[in-house]
Amino acid sequence: MLTKASYTLADGTPLSDLVRVPTREVQMRALSDPEIYQLEMDRVFGKTWLLLGHESEVPNSGDFVVRDMGSDSVIVARAKDGNIHVSLNVCPHRGMRISTVDAGNTQIHKCIYHGWAFKPSGEFIGAPVEKECMHGKMMPKEDLGLPQARVTLYGGIIFATWDLEGPSFEEFLGDAKWYFDTLFERSDKGLEVLGPPQRFIVRANWKAAGEQSAADGYHTLTLHRWLGEVGNYSKSGDGGSADLSPEMYGVEVSSPHGHALRCIDLGRKIKKLSGLDPAELTVEQKLEALPPPGMTREMLPQLRKHLSEEQLEVMVSMPPQVGGIFPNVLFAFVYIPQADGSVLGLTLLHAYVPKGPDQLEFVNWVLAEKDAPQELKDRMLMQSIQLFGTSGMVEQDDSDTWPHMTLAAKGARGRRSTLKYQAVYETGAPAGWPGPGIVNEGFTKDDTQWHWWLYWNELMNAKA
Amino acid sequence: MSAAQQVAENAPVIGNPIPVGAEIYNRIVGFLYQEATLLDTIRLKEWGATLAPDLVYTVPLRQTRPMSQQAQSVIRTVQHYHDNYRSIMGRIMRLTETRSAWAEDPPSRTRRMVSNVQVFATDRPDEFAVVSYLLLTRSRFDFPDMDVISGERNDLLRVDGEGFKLVRREVILDQAVLGTPNLAIFL
Ligand code: FES
Ligand SMILES: [Fe+2]
Repeated sequence: MLTKASYTLADGTPLSDLVRVPTREVQMRALSDPEIYQLEMDRVFGKTWLLLGHESEVPNSGDFVVRDMGSDSVIVARAKDGNIHVSLNVCPHRGMRISTVDAGNTQIHKCIYHGWAFKPSGEFIGAPVEKECMHGKMMPKEDLGLPQARVTLYGGIIFATWDLEGPSFEEFLGDAKWYFDTLFERSDKGLEVLGPPQRFIVRANWKAAGEQSAADGYHTLTLHRWLGEVGNYSKSGDGGSADLSPEMYGVEVSSPHGHALRCIDLGRKIKKLSGLDPAELTVEQKLEALPPPGMTREMLPQLRKHLSEEQLEVMVSMPPQVGGIFPNVLFAFVYIPQADGSVLGLTLLHAYVPKGPDQLEFVNWVLAEKDAPQELKDRMLMQSIQLFGTSGMVEQDDSDTWPHMTLAAKGARGRRSTLKYQAVYETGAPAGWPGPGIVNEGFTKDDTQWHWWLYWNELMNAKA
Repeated sequence: MSAAQQVAENAPVIGNPIPVGAEIYNRIVGFLYQEATLLDTIRLKEWGATLAPDLVYTVPLRQTRPMSQQAQSVIRTVQHYHDNYRSIMGRIMRLTETRSAWAEDPPSRTRRMVSNVQVFATDRPDEFAVVSYLLLTRSRFDFPDMDVISGERNDLLRVDGEGFKLVRREVILDQAVLGTPNLAIFL
């Protein structure tokens, strides 16, 4: 159990005042304050499970990629025994960064400064001039290895934490796991990356992106309004205007650990594709009409092997499409209308890596089911790039927005403004909803994001 | 090996270099300058009219790799841009025909500096391979920081009457982590 410990910021503000529970407000200074940022690096990024990549990025022994856990660089490497290790990318000798590249393959990570060498598992191999005992005699060799993070693979996705004794990844996901399994643990071979991730810098605090990932639905209506105005997504063809609000009805799931899922009603899409009333279709028929993102009809029998009847029911009626894994992950398993009237599913993962109080690195992985035909993977890849990440027509608007929030949070008055999460669900779960967690039905509200902040608040105020 | 020597699979077969100052060389440089003007002055529909219907427009990722693995520093699986004529026209439509393309509304102020132009014959008499350097500055809002995007463009131009059509463009960027929040602008 986490116990409250009072902490006072340099200007006398109690840390526990940043999140105002009764009125569901968060002080804006949280989006820029360097002192808060430093605390977060230990209390949030030092405690939670963090997304580092996918095992398909390092398929062979010796393969490695260099990634970040909060403000620390780490080497993610596959060792001889086949396991993936996550080692702090800091040489224990004098603190040089050991790997200075983004990726590669080697059985020996050798520090270029004085030549100390390490295995992909982080174990110390030795220092040069061994006979003169350059590494000293004061510490045993076992103690000169690279600090190891605790690693887990979930659907092949690599998560790691510095909290060696803390909750398991399953406990961390909690009730949200039931839903995430429908995305990440649904097929025989699972997902694979279609290439290395896109990476770019946004001059914004990581939480501007992080809180939006906790299933902000409202911004779609204005920030992504163009989706209703032109192209295959346009609503004008249906005789309506650019109104996207019908898309915002569904079910939202939040979790005490800040994970969030926005589940969107597939009824209208299924009706459009099959011409049939979804209420009269079986689970099987709905899956046939609209397979989950990235799956072909031939792959559908795999779903039955991995998921329960209840999970399948959610998948064909209100599947999770966007949301986040606390603290800094966004997932998208979205259905994109195509010019020919068909629907193309896309699967993406983002990490918003903190790079200082007012800078984040946007890391975007494009994924597909390993079993999917190459032709489908190619189409998914191209469509993903056109809509998401660096040049993506949807997300270019998001990344251009967050810097303004971070700048606003620096103003002497602006920093005392509050973010408001006051649109509260009053519905609860739909009747017969089979899934666990905090579930609400109807038009999108602020609950999922508010729960994200509550967990942030809990971690920040926990006794170290 | 320089980035120029790293060629994509669909790259044109490059023939002899055409000397600086040759008539066709001058016309091609004129086209590149004109194109920079169209993009910098946000005449996007006019720019769209210079694109060939079989356009391939890509911007690979870069990775930091050791000297011995420079071939792997250009990534052509997941890229920053991966477009064809239809999708580029879709992007232009979003920017010009909606009132909600916020990543470029208000638009960035940009300067495309095009230099080091080298023109090569190809196996087709009406198509030329063009290598150029691009230095692009991007200024947004009242932000004092200027985003700088630098790279090498590997183009294929097709003669079209007095002018040219862009058939293929691959931009090899210099940054592994881009310093601009998105590529809502064309390179
Ligand atoms: S700092 Fe790495 S060997 Fe000295
Ligand atoms: Fe968005």
